[in-house]
Order: sequence, then C-alpha cells, then structure tokens
Amino acid sequence: MLTEALLIALWAGIAGVDLFDVQLHIHRPVVSGLVVGAILGDIKTGLITGATLELVWMGMVPLAGAQPPNVVIGGIIGTVFAILSGQDPKIAVGVAVPFAIAVQALITLLFTAFSPIMHKADKYAEEANTRGIENINYLGIAILFVMYAVIAFLPVYYGAEYATNIVQKMPTWLTDGLATAGGMMPAIGFAMLLKIMLKKEYFAFLLVGFIVVTYFKLTLVGTAILGLAIALYDFYNKKSSDDNTQFKKEVRTNGI
Amino acid sequence: MASKTVPQISGKLTKKDLWRMAVRSFLLQASFNYERMQAAGWLYSLLPALKKVKKSKEDLSSAMKRHMEFFNTHPFLVTPLIGIVAAMEENNEDPNMIRSIKVATMGPLGGIGDAIIWLTLLPITAGIGASLAIEGNIAGPILFLLIFNAIHAVLRFGGIFYGYNTGVKAVKTLRTGTKAISHAASIVGLTVVGGLIASYISLSTPLVVKAGQAQVAIQTDVLDKIMPNMLPLGYTFLLYFLLKKGMSPTKLIGITILIGIVGKFFGIL
Repeated sequence: MLTEALLIALWAGIAGVDLFDVQLHIHRPVVSGLVVGAILGDIKTGLITGATLELVWMGMVPLAGAQPPNVVIGGIIGTVFAILSGQDPKIAVGVAVPFAIAVQALITLLFTAFSPIMHKADKYAEEANTRGIENINYLGIAILFVMYAVIAFLPVYYGAEYATNIVQKMPTWLTDGLATAGGMMPAIGFAMLLKIMLKKEYFAFLLVGFIVVTYFKLTLVGTAILGLAIALYDFYNKKSSDDNTQFKKEVRTNGI
Repeated sequence: MASKTVPQISGKLTKKDLWRMAVRSFLLQASFNYERMQAAGWLYSLLPALKKVKKSKEDLSSAMKRHMEFFNTHPFLVTPLIGIVAAMEENNEDPNMIRSIKVATMGPLGGIGDAIIWLTLLPITAGIGASLAIEGNIAGPILFLLIFNAIHAVLRFGGIFYGYNTGVKAVKTLRTGTKAISHAASIVGLTVVGGLIASYISLSTPLVVKAGQAQVAIQTDVLDKIMPNMLPLGYTFLLYFLLKKGMSPTKLIGITILIGIVGKFFGIL
C-alpha cells in the first residue's frame, strides 16, 4: 500500500499545482479518476467514479477568486474510496465532499498566510531583484505541491483499509441514501452555474437544451452545436440590425 | 486584421520574448494571495520584457514596483494584456496610462474569461469527457484534455501576439466586443446546462399508490406523463432559489445528503 499511497500523493501534488497554475486541467476528477484507477489497478471503476465526481463539481469553478470545495482532493479521495471499498461510485461522492470542504478551508488559510510575503516582494521590486520575485513564485508552487501530496497521502495510507471496514458495517439505508444523494448532487453544480448565468432573456435557451435531451435524447455534443447555431444566428442578426440603425442615424444627420 | 495596425515601437522585443512571457504566464497564480491576488505572478510573467526594455536599475525598479500593485484577471486571458503592457512599456508610455489600461482591462477580461472558459468551455468539454468515462471508456478523459487544451493554447499563445500587435487599440476592441461575446457564450452555455440537467441528475421516486384494485406508480404513471425529468429540473431550481437566497453551496450539499438518506429510509426516493 505504501507504493500506491506515494504514487497517489505524487499525483495529488501535481494535480494540486495544476488547479491554480499551468491549468492543463489534469486535476479534474474525470482525469484523476483514470490516473488513480491506473495506480490502484482498476481503471474501469476509476473512470466511472471520476466521471460521477466530475458532474458534481461541474459548476464549482473559482469565480472571482471564491474557493469552491476542493476539486483535486475530492476527485482523488473519492476515486480511492470507490476502488478500495468496492462500493457504488455514487457513495464515493458522499465520502469525497467532506474531505473537499476541509481542504477548501485550508486553501483559504494559505491564501491569507501568503499575503505578508507580498511585502517581501515589494522589497525585491525596490531593489530591482528579479531573481527574488521569481523565487517567491517558485516557493508558492512548492508549498502547494507539498500540501496536496501530504493531504492525499495520509487518508490513503492510513484510512483506506479502515474505509472498507466502515462501509461494510454501515447499514444499507445509509449507503443507499448516500448513493441517492450522490445521484442528486450534480444539481448543486448546475444550480451554481445558473445562479451566475441565468437571466430572464436566457431562460428560453435553458429550456431548449432541456427539451431536446429529455424528449429527443440528443447527445451533449449535439446540444452544444444547437446552442452554437442559436448563438451565431443571434450574433449576426443583432449585428445587422445594429448596422441598420447606425446607417439610419447617419442618413438623418446628413439630411439635416 | 492585426497586420495593418502594428504600432510604432522601437522593436526591442522579439517573438522569442513574447513566447517566454506566454510560457511564464502559466504561473500567474503561483503566489496567489488575498492581498494582491495575482500581482507577483503578473510581474513574474512580465519580467522578460521589463528586463530588456528598462536599461537602468532605477527604471527597472520603478517599473517592478508599479507592477506589484493589485492585479487579478482570468488566468487564460491574461496574455493579451501582457502583450499590450509590454508594448507600452517598450515605448515608455506614461506609467499612469499603463496602470489605467491594466486596471480597466483586467475586469472585463476576467468577466469574459469566466463566461467563455469556466462557464462554457469547461462544462461542455468536461461534460463530454464524463459522458464517455461514465461508461468506462478511456477516451473520455483523453478527449476532454485534448479539446480543452487546444482552445487553451490558442487563447494563451495567440493572445500575447494579438495583444502586442494591436497594442493600445486592443483595449478598445475588447471593450466593444465584451457584451456580444459574453452574450453568445451565455446562449451556448445555458443550452448545454439545460441538456446536462436532463441527462445527469438521477432523481426519481419508487412510490406506488394503491387505490382499491388500481396501482398507480407515481414516477411512470404520473410524473413522466406530465414531463420526464421533472424531478431533476425541479430540484435544480429549488437549489437555484436557495442559492439566490444566499444559502452556501456547502449547506446545499448537507441538505442533499440529508434528503437522500431520509428519502431512502422512508422509501420515497
């Protein structure tokens, strides 16, 4: 288990850095699920759990600096749990979210703790010390890497076997209940997206997307292309009407 | 479009410098903190240009101090602004003008970035990836990374050249374009969210009501007759209104877990 825990810790460190820096988005659960699955020798469960967790975190993005429950640790711990305990991936959602919320609090703490270092950076700027500025940024990366690696290592190394036992002792109404809640949780992500995006004039498009999938079983790609078609129509329609009004105005001013 | 508008600049910065700054911009948030947010990462990204165009130590020092001021924008869309500011620093523009362009642009860029990347590109590509992965298909995560990063790369590396070449003019373009772009992005985004609600929330009831001889299954005989996926849509909107009332996402997670367990316990879910 030590080797697996170390590998998962390494992945957590890399993914944790990717959440804020480089941002190739290898930290998303849909990718972490595959990697953790490969480390633990069960790619299929990894993929399914990763995808389930991905949907829960869909709307939880760092908008305007606000920190959502930590997607990196949520994705990794959730997948580890599903594979080691052999439970339904949906139960993993209920297990992963508390971890993710705790790590979110820790990140907030880190962002506060890093503020005083900015005054050191001011001093480096004053001295035109470019190397100093670079080192402060590299230090930030190093702290993130170590933090995530440690956070992922501990529960995987010490808790994984326990987790299996705990789940086996849990009553079925609890595990089934957690699975049901896991199935509902994507609604939270979608509601968060709606809170930011939904305005009265956009409600029609939400409905169109819902209807084409519910009644016509259109795939997600098809739905996206449909949305794009509407957006393009709207964009050029508006543009030409803008041009027209501008033209009219010009004509009038010329006339007078 | 940009070819005709190359500003008159001393030409000290090379293509290689622009590439180096774009690569450095990957670490924009390395030293993120609540006091200055991305300031030190922004300065880090801009250093190749500053070191080259500010010859004296005094000039370099004063430029570095100016760029340690509060800064925050979308991490994928920072490069057009790096390009603009690098062009202005190279041309020794008035520091106050550089500052106001920085401040005026970081907000709209942040807004556009949130709309087209966090709320459109990410949900669509991750949603497609997840829809494959949930069936155990390894192509899911791979496809997600490929599509997402192809667009990411175009924005980041294309952005720095676009910003540099259009120089100050880019700011105007961005301002007038902001509304139309985020409007179009919202339309695509919401259509997809509608589809996601219909396909990815599993919520149904096994309740069966017995009336004499007749048995009525609430889900298949009643709810699905009115509209399939009614419960997922209804639950999403319930959460939406709770969020708007100011309830935190963390609380909603707690509520959802509670509903799941209690609902299962009494056999309503």
